[in-house]
Amino acid sequence: MIKGYAGRVLEVDLESRRFAFQPLDEETARLYVGGKGYGTRLLYDRTEAGIDPLGPENPLIFATGPLNGSVAPQSNRFAVICKSPLTGGIGNATCGGSFALGLKKAGIDILVITRRAERPVRLEIDGDRDAVEFVDAGDLWGKGTYATQELLPKRFYHAVIGPAGENLVLYAGIVSNERIAGRTGVGAVMGSKRLKAVSVKGSRKLEMDDPEAFKKYTKHVRELFADHPVLGSSMKRFGTGGIVNTTNARNILPTRNFQKGHFADAMQISGEWTEDHELKGVKTSCIHCPVTCGRDVEVPGHGVVKGPEYETLALMGSNLEIADIKKVNEWNFHADDQGMDSISLGAVLSFAMELGERGMLATKLHFGDPAGITELIQDIGHRRGLGADLADGVKRMAEKYGGHAFAMHVKGLELSAYDPRGSYAQGVEYATTNRGGCHVQGASMYLESVGPLTINPQNLRLKADIPVVQQNLACAINSMVLCIFTTYGMIPKAVHEMDPDSFLHRSLRFALEHTPGALLRGAMSVKGKPMMWFEKWLTYITGTTFSSGHLQEIGARIFNLERMYNLREGLTAKDDTLPPRMLHEPIFPDQTSGHPLDQLLPRYYRNRGWDADGVPTRRTLERLQVRV
Amino acid sequence: MAVVVQLTYEMGKTLGAPRIEIEGARTVADVLRATRERFGAEAARFDQLARVTAVAVNGVLASYKRGQKTAVADGDTVAFVKAAAGG
Repeated sequence: MIKGYAGRVLEVDLESRRFAFQPLDEETARLYVGGKGYGTRLLYDRTEAGIDPLGPENPLIFATGPLNGSVAPQSNRFAVICKSPLTGGIGNATCGGSFALGLKKAGIDILVITRRAERPVRLEIDGDRDAVEFVDAGDLWGKGTYATQELLPKRFYHAVIGPAGENLVLYAGIVSNERIAGRTGVGAVMGSKRLKAVSVKGSRKLEMDDPEAFKKYTKHVRELFADHPVLGSSMKRFGTGGIVNTTNARNILPTRNFQKGHFADAMQISGEWTEDHELKGVKTSCIHCPVTCGRDVEVPGHGVVKGPEYETLALMGSNLEIADIKKVNEWNFHADDQGMDSISLGAVLSFAMELGERGMLATKLHFGDPAGITELIQDIGHRRGLGADLADGVKRMAEKYGGHAFAMHVKGLELSAYDPRGSYAQGVEYATTNRGGCHVQGASMYLESVGPLTINPQNLRLKADIPVVQQNLACAINSMVLCIFTTYGMIPKAVHEMDPDSFLHRSLRFALEHTPGALLRGAMSVKGKPMMWFEKWLTYITGTTFSSGHLQEIGARIFNLERMYNLREGLTAKDDTLPPRMLHEPIFPDQTSGHPLDQLLPRYYRNRGWDADGVPTRRTLERLQVRV
Repeated sequence: MAVVVQLTYEMGKTLGAPRIEIEGARTVADVLRATRERFGAEAARFDQLARVTAVAVNGVLASYKRGQKTAVADGDTVAFVKAAAGG
C-alpha cells in the first residue's frame, strides 16, 4: 500500500447491519489522491443516473486523504461526498474538527455508508478490533449538535447531525466538534439514512515514506506560518471575520439580498469588532492547526460557543442589514446547533425578506429587523410553518413564490459572500463550479478583490484563466484533505508588507495582470520539483513526487469527473450561469450592466478542453485519464 | 453633501468614528490630505496605518484609475482597503 494511506475502505450497510473492510484501490488513490477525488470516483461508479438523493440508493461517503492523521498544519479535514439533494448534482463538503484524525487512527481511508436504517442509529467503529456496532440513537434523535456531542462517549471522534439533518432540510450539514461540512445538504442525506452520528476510534499511526524529512520540514512551515501576515497574524487575531471591512470597502459585501455591496455599519460585524468587544478569551482550531481561525463568543442562555465566520457575518449580518453582532452570534449558534449551512440559511432569509418587501410572500420578516429570526431558524430545522418552505432553499422558494430575478443561487446552491459584479473571476468560478455557487472551490476572489496582490477585477483579463487554475488547485487540496486556507500563505510576507502604491507593487500587479492566460496556466502545469509545502508534504508522506503540475492535473481530473457526473444527472451548460440580478443589475457607478459572464464562459470552456456546450471532449477525458 | 471616507478599523479607533466626511475634495489626493489632517497629533499613526492600505473610490481601487489624481465628487465613498483573507 502507498504510504500515507491506511489501505482500507469500510463499507457499512445500514439496512442489513452488515459491514466489510475492503482494500483501498491503489490505482484510484494514485489518480484521485483521496478525499473529494476518491469519493467522487466511488460515487460515479457505484450509482445509477437519476437516483433520489434522499433515497437509500444514495451512498454517503466520508473520505480522508494521505495528509490526514499527520501533524501538518491545516491537515485534519475530511470530505463528504454524495448526490446533493439541494442541487441534484454532485454534493460534497469538507469539514475540520477531529473526525478525520479518528478515521485514520481507526485505519480507515474511506467510509461508505449505504441504504437506510430502520430506526435512528449511531455507528460506533473501533478500528483496532475491526468492529462496527449499530447503537440505537432514539435518545439522541431530536437533539442539537452541541448536546449530541456532549452525550457521546469521550474516547471516540464524532460526526453528527442536528434536527436540520433529521428533518431533511436541504442545506443541512454534518458537524465535527464545532466545525461543519456545511454545503450541498450532505447532512440531509445522513438524516435520510436515519444516521444520527458516526463515532470512531483506533490507535494506528500514519506511515510515511520519509518521516524525518516530513518532521523537519513541518517545523519549518510552522515557523513560516507563525510569521505570515495572514496565517500567523490577521487570521489568528480576527478570524475569517477580518475580511468584512475589506469586502465592504471593495463594494462586494452582500447587502440587502445583494441589492448593494456596501453596508454602512459593516464595522460592527467585523472580526476586528469581535476581537475588541465579543471575544471570550478562546481562539480555537482544528487538531494540529496553529492558525486558530475559530473564536468563542458568549450567547446568553447557551454559554460560550463558536463565533460566526465571515460568510455568516455577511449572509446573516449585512445581507439582512443587521449590524447587531450579538444577534448574528446567536443565529450562528442556532444554525450550528440545528446543523445547517449558515450561508444557505442567510441567503434564504434575505430572499424571504425581499419577497415580503415586494408583496410576494406573507411574512413579518424585514431587512434590518432581527425580530422573529431566532424562532424561524428553529422552525426551519423542524420544518414548521414558513420554515418548511425555507428549508428547501432559495431555488425551490423561487419556484413556489416567484422572484427568480433576485434568487441568489447557482445550480441551486446559495451564493457565497463575494459579489461577483466586483469580482469577475469569482463570478466565472461561481457559474462553473460543479457543486454550485460557492467560494471555497477556487477562491479566485483572493487574486482579484481581497488579497495583497490583486488584479483589476472588472476587466476580462485572466478572468477565464484564474478560475481554471484555482478550481484545479482546490480540487487537489480537498483531496489531500487540507484546508483551503493554506493557499492564502502562498503569497509571501514581503508582498503583504509592500506599500500598494509603491513602484514595485504596481509593477508586480501589472506583470500579473498582463500575463497571457495560456502562460499562466502553462506555468502552473509544469511538472517539476515540489515547491509549496503541501506538495512537499504529499511527497514526503507518499514517496511520490508531487509538484504544481501534478496537482493541476489531478485537480483537473477531479473537476472533469465531477462535471461528467453533473452532465449524467441532467445539468447542462444552461446551469453555468449567475442569478439574473448579478448579470443585469449594475452595482458600481461605472457599470452599465452586471457580470459579463457571456463574454467569459466560451473562453473558460476552451481553457478547460470542453466543447461549446460545456461538455469535456473525448481528448480531454483521455488526456486526464477520466474513465466514464 | 461631502465625500464619505470609510476608515480601516484601526484608523476608526484612533479617530473615534468608523467614517468621516470631507468637504471640498476634488481628488483622492485631496481626500488623503484632509484625512491626515483630521488625525492631528496622531498623523504619524495615520501614515503608519495608511502605508499598507490601498484606496478605493466607490469600491474601485484608485490604482485602476488615475491613482491619487482620480477625481472624486460629493456623495462618493472613498475607502481605505486592507488586504485580507477569509472564507
